[in-house]
Amino acid sequence: MKRTSVLAKMSIACALGLAVAACGSSGPSSNGQGGGSLVFAEFNPFSGPDAAFGPEMLVACDAASNAINAAGGVLGHKTTCKGFDTHGDPADAVAAANQMIATTSNLAGVIGPSSDEALATVPILDRAHIPMFADTGQAAFDHATQKFFWRISPADDVKGFAMAIWAHSLGYTRGAAVYGNDVGSQSNVPTLVHAFTALGGTMVSNQSIALDQPSYRTEVASMLAAHPQVIFTEEDPATAATYLSEVAQLNGGKLIPVVGTETTLEANWVQAVVRAVGGSLLKKYQVGVQPYAPPSGPAYGPFRSALYASKAASQSNLAVYSTDPYAMGYWDSVNLMALAMIAAKSTDPAKYNSFITAVSNPGPGKVVVSTFAAGAHALAAGKQIQYVGASGPAVFNKWHNSTGAFEVAGYVSAGNIHLDGVVTAAQIAAISGK
Amino acid sequence: MSVFWSSLGFGVVTASILAIAAVGFTLQFGATNIFNLAYGDTMTAAAFVGYLVTRAHLGLWAAMLAGGAFGGIFSVVLNRAVYAPFIRRGTRLFGMIIVSIAVSLILSNGLQAIWGANFYSLAITPGRSLRFGPFIMTTVQLVIIAIAIAIMLAVHLLLRHTRLGRAMRATANNATLARNCGIRTDLVIDMVWLLSGILCGIGGVALVANITSFDFGTGGQFIVLILTAAVLGGVGQPYGAMIGALVIGLATEVSAAIFSPEYKELTAFAILVVILLIRPLGILSEVAQQKEVVVA
Repeated sequence: MKRTSVLAKMSIACALGLAVAACGSSGPSSNGQGGGSLVFAEFNPFSGPDAAFGPEMLVACDAASNAINAAGGVLGHKTTCKGFDTHGDPADAVAAANQMIATTSNLAGVIGPSSDEALATVPILDRAHIPMFADTGQAAFDHATQKFFWRISPADDVKGFAMAIWAHSLGYTRGAAVYGNDVGSQSNVPTLVHAFTALGGTMVSNQSIALDQPSYRTEVASMLAAHPQVIFTEEDPATAATYLSEVAQLNGGKLIPVVGTETTLEANWVQAVVRAVGGSLLKKYQVGVQPYAPPSGPAYGPFRSALYASKAASQSNLAVYSTDPYAMGYWDSVNLMALAMIAAKSTDPAKYNSFITAVSNPGPGKVVVSTFAAGAHALAAGKQIQYVGASGPAVFNKWHNSTGAFEVAGYVSAGNIHLDGVVTAAQIAAISGK
Repeated sequence: MSVFWSSLGFGVVTASILAIAAVGFTLQFGATNIFNLAYGDTMTAAAFVGYLVTRAHLGLWAAMLAGGAFGGIFSVVLNRAVYAPFIRRGTRLFGMIIVSIAVSLILSNGLQAIWGANFYSLAITPGRSLRFGPFIMTTVQLVIIAIAIAIMLAVHLLLRHTRLGRAMRATANNATLARNCGIRTDLVIDMVWLLSGILCGIGGVALVANITSFDFGTGGQFIVLILTAAVLGGVGQPYGAMIGALVIGLATEVSAAIFSPEYKELTAFAILVVILLIRPLGILSEVAQQKEVVVA
């Protein structure tokens, strides 16, 4: 009897723990609709070091889903969004992917996975014939062979070229590469070093740093001793906050110009670093390179309005999401999948997958549309369409990758960035040969 | 060469934070034999208490006091409400590890539910950077070192020169014998949880004061280093934890200077593995064979 009681208590404790953990592992669904609704899954970290990824994705999907439903839905179906927490860990993500596929009978498409779990889970989703709009930047997918894999954002290795080109344009010849030792961050480094060197620069320090340590003062001292003119960087928000605050402490209260990846313009990164070093230092010294998606044009207004209509995020986060190319990309991914379903006259993922390029890529006689509603209307009228969304044209190559120009932007205040310049696709092609 | 010498100074800062936390962890384990893996998350919760205090413009000292008070009270309640009932009903050592993992998950996800996946900083300035030869430290870091030294001395005095300290050591050695000798082991255990919780709370505030930006998972990530320091020094041995913290703190920083920053954690684990190889019984086998959890 006693044993039963102990076991029962242990079970309760474990169940409580797992239940609370499950708040993240099977995240909240939007719209409150289940049943016959088509589900767009946000397959990304909602917990762990990259816990900020999932909520942004869910909010952008929620906005797109609401707009789709307001326009009448997809072939008579309403849509909804549901988060699945990968914990940013490949092992956890495999279990989450299998659970998602097994338990979501009306799964229409996936946004994600991220670099944290893409290598482990893309094959699983592909085998299940689920179209996925991955937000991984890994170069391993530059020539993806998976039929159901799509990437609307540029690969990380391309970003390295853009960062080097920008630093070179400012006359910097001594660079320090400070990247987290995670797969996603490290995938930027080879092309960055290659391009910066090819442009006549020298990478005087190349640090691959362990994440979330209590101190980086030794690393900072070592980096400063090499006297770089610019720091190239990507790491998680907590690591960046500690590292950069220690740069300021050991460098007389000043930073060194920082050229970061798009991670350094994301809401949580900015929040963490601003709180560590102050907004004025960040504003003065840091820029981030991200896919070019100007917050303007016919597709941007509907995106922004729908985003702000979402109740799932704070106003300050919405302000940052509204200028984040990745949030725009998530919105566009949902719209592209929904329009492909209409073009295919089927919500079956295995069938509509091959119609994605039919609604995204340019072609003779195609009508350019900037919203789901306009696209659905044009398709209903028997026209062919090219959807050009908030993140710009998505022109997929034969490996289902879409790459464009990059913008260089700096922090102004929460949700506000200033555009410093653009690195064109032609500039990148000139040095990368891609 | 100057980076090497600087790294020694930086290592002392890391070691100080680690020592506060590791001594608390090992004090509690030494007396109760509960491997409390929720310790790191308790540090985070205390850090949030410290955050609220600094937001009220009460400064770092008040934040440490509040964080310590929270950590102490929370730990006593945690033991009384969760751990002790399990032990009374016969849950053994490894079962308690699972219970503590469940508590850790509840705490971590509870903190995420309350504070969100956002980052916070104590509303304090790190102060001026001061140079002592090759060493550079901020005033906040000097405060952390001073607090760590004071705590280590206080723990030494407590254990060696007070009745409570002797009772704690007696309970840690053999709880049944101590009880038969008239020691109120239930009160001693409460005091151990209180003291270790206070150190946990102060450690949490010190940690986030040093790293400047934290979220709901910060303490949970730090637990690995705490365990490494505690095991290295001989788990359950407060003096060992102090030495362990110093070795791990210095080794991680110096390795970043000599080898690569990428190998900081690897260095800590390598030291742990070497120690466990030299002492073949290791932490878990020793515990499993010779000790059991203690509630009163």
